[in-house]
Amino acid sequence: MTSLTALSPPDRAQLFGLVALCVVLTLAVSLGAVSISPGQLLFAPLSRLGLTELSALTPAQEAVLWAIRLPRALLAVGVGGALGLAGALMQGLTRNPLADPGLLGVSSGAALGGAAATVLGGAWSQIGLPVAAIFGGLLVWAVVMAAARRDGAAPISTLLLCGVAVSALASSGTGLLLFIASDEQLRSLTFWTLGSLSGASWSRACLVLGALAVGLGLTARAARSLNALLLGEAEAAQLGVPVEALKLGLTVLVAVLVGLSVAFSGFIGFIGLVVPPLARLFVGADQRRVLPMSVVLGAGLLTVADLVARTCVAPAELPVGVLTALLGGPFFLYRLRAASPEV
Amino acid sequence: MMVTVLWLSLGCVQQPEADVTPSPRIVSLGGPVTELVYALGRGDTLVGRDTSSMFPEEALRLPDVGYHRQLSAEGVLSLAPTLVLATAHAGPPEAVDQLRAAGVTVLLLPEDATAEGSRARTIAAGEALDRKQAAQALVEQLDAGLLGLSPLTKAPKVMFVYARGGVALEVAGQETAADEMIRLVGAQNAISGYTGYKPLTPEAAIAAAPDVLLMTARGLESAGGEATIWENPALMATPAGHSRRLIVMDDLLLLGFGPRLPEAARQLTSALAETQTSP
Amino acid sequence: MLTVSNLGVSVRGRALVRGVSFGLAPGELLAVCGPNGAGKSTLLKLISGERRPTTGEIVLFDRALTAWRPRELAQRRAVVPQTSPCDFPFCAWEVVMLGRTPHPSSARDRDIALDALDAVGASHLAERLLPQLSGGERQRVALARAFAQLHGVQGPGLLLLDEPTAALDLQHQESVLSLLRRRCDERGDAVLIILHDLNLAGAWADRALLMMEGQTLADAPPEEAFTPTLIHRAYGVTVRTLRHPDTGRALLVPARADTRTQTLTPPPKP
Repeated sequence: MTSLTALSPPDRAQLFGLVALCVVLTLAVSLGAVSISPGQLLFAPLSRLGLTELSALTPAQEAVLWAIRLPRALLAVGVGGALGLAGALMQGLTRNPLADPGLLGVSSGAALGGAAATVLGGAWSQIGLPVAAIFGGLLVWAVVMAAARRDGAAPISTLLLCGVAVSALASSGTGLLLFIASDEQLRSLTFWTLGSLSGASWSRACLVLGALAVGLGLTARAARSLNALLLGEAEAAQLGVPVEALKLGLTVLVAVLVGLSVAFSGFIGFIGLVVPPLARLFVGADQRRVLPMSVVLGAGLLTVADLVARTCVAPAELPVGVLTALLGGPFFLYRLRAASPEV
Repeated sequence: MMVTVLWLSLGCVQQPEADVTPSPRIVSLGGPVTELVYALGRGDTLVGRDTSSMFPEEALRLPDVGYHRQLSAEGVLSLAPTLVLATAHAGPPEAVDQLRAAGVTVLLLPEDATAEGSRARTIAAGEALDRKQAAQALVEQLDAGLLGLSPLTKAPKVMFVYARGGVALEVAGQETAADEMIRLVGAQNAISGYTGYKPLTPEAAIAAAPDVLLMTARGLESAGGEATIWENPALMATPAGHSRRLIVMDDLLLLGFGPRLPEAARQLTSALAETQTSP
Repeated sequence: MLTVSNLGVSVRGRALVRGVSFGLAPGELLAVCGPNGAGKSTLLKLISGERRPTTGEIVLFDRALTAWRPRELAQRRAVVPQTSPCDFPFCAWEVVMLGRTPHPSSARDRDIALDALDAVGASHLAERLLPQLSGGERQRVALARAFAQLHGVQGPGLLLLDEPTAALDLQHQESVLSLLRRRCDERGDAVLIILHDLNLAGAWADRALLMMEGQTLADAPPEEAFTPTLIHRAYGVTVRTLRHPDTGRALLVPARADTRTQTLTPPPKP
């Protein structure tokens, strides 16, 4: 076992990040509005399997632990990681260290889908919202890709411009829907926009974590090509990278990750934008490290933010999107000042 | 290290809860629902309420679980409720499912903002809280109150104005709580031809030609006060604007269709009658 | 190794490159010169595959360019672009190592990258971050990347360079060109290099392609390609030919009047 000091700084950072995530996850499962003692937590898995009567949880505590807190913490890890990964991929795709995953219009599309479901959905509005959001995001992405395509290629600059234009269209559509929305619908939409993980369930958590795992796996294999893409599209092509196919794959992945996140937890800003540069501060620019680190940091940040969101004004909740910015912003600024000038 | 182990094991050896029927602990979600619980004499069983539950005063002293459309299941559970009383507006649906999975009974009362809906809510709540007789009495009170409304000499045209976010003014069309209230007291909604809320335009206001404007207290406040209302060109041009006829009532009272419905109807009727008699 | 026949590309009716034909053999260093807008960069992009021609054919290593799979081609052909803006905090050696992308991953990749940096005299830049390097330093890193890309290739490779000396000082201009020259002589690589400096071309190139308005004016050894008549046609400047005291090769200087800033007005057309 190599000693810690033998590891290079980036590897050490990755290790610490992973450990920190585990700690944060444990805290997230341990703390909450309903109190569960550490002893009960320790024996909870055994108790669940019926192996011991010690420290039996009340039905309410059981429900809280297994049906509410655990899926919620896992959803936080999944969504935070997905947004971090999407941000890192987007920044690699656009070669802009401060690009946001919503740049291709996926967020606006998801917003439009959500608004349509809320305002026009009637009885289906609450159940239909996640589906409509994913659909809206993918639809907008497809429109942007089709609009930017010329001679079988879609240069990034054109993609971005089309993204901006289609985003604007989607936003105006959303604005129209907001205009005709009733007061109740408006309040619902506002809360959804602010982001919340209160709709967590095992199926949602597994879906997001699954998408995240697949995404990480696929991008790990393409890591060298992703690095080459950072030099430029022409340069990457000259290095033998199948640029168009790569771009297609990446944008689909970003659309799915962002769409799922928005669908299940509303809009949680800041993570996709700032977590990747933060990761780069720790591990350098190599995508083989930046991608997993972005996932770890994003997951950790969101889990902490959600923990604070649901404990500091219990039994009520703060919108988590507000907290991600509050927590992440100062930390990022501090790290920026301490590190080298470029991110 | 030893202390930690000791402490942890102390936490482990917990006596299981004694099997005793606990006294009910109720969380009510929705202003009218909370009002009902108090009106049925079960206010002492409440352990939590939502943000919109602002009446009676005692309710404000209860822990607030947040906006009823965006609940935190764990937050509600931390109050150890035996029953959650709400309307179909409560959400998100996952949170409601989680509450049920935790063994809490979640009862959704009918939510329509009509007199009939109010009756149905009262009866259902009476069943749930084991106060059927009190519920029956409330319903009889409601019926008597509505019957006893002094008729208005001429159905005045009323326009309900709402300030969305304090900036854009909107008016209530058909199928809104405001519309129901207006028709319940025998007046006429100046706005016809569409459902829901629509933005206020000068043309629409002049065509509607309301005799009286109706607003809620908080709505008026967020619109900037009475002075701002009368400065609005769309409203200035109406008969209501010329005579400066504005009725302001408490939000929950006017639109809640809760147990205070007869009182709300009475207040609205007499306010309308006043505007008809005054020059 | 490289054969270009009747190559042309037009954009909206305007021909950027027209009827260009030439060949490049292993071990040859071909300089492409000409005024701004002559189509030199476009020609390079056509050969590297970045742009598609509207007419003509390109044959590389006995195979049509269109028949090559990008990854295979990248193992034998490297491109050094004019600029490579990159805002990401890569270390110089990481960028050079990216040159190994077309080849299967290997534990030696890092060493190859460091060797390449050494070859261009930029070893001291290895751990420096790319955004912090000067233009000239970045150019040398790009060159090292190209060398790393062609490392271990079977047979001669092809290097395409777009004004690699533009941001370099005198010392590094000389060293880069001598490196390229050595690669041609020792490894048999073929080099196609766009150069602004005619004298640099004259000193190091085997052949020069003089371009103007998308067409070739000359395709010959520099002595024959850079005649005052042709130079005047291409650049509209009168030049005088001198002889280099060491090599005896032609040096071109613009004709000037007595005062420092005045150049001779062009002579009347013959």
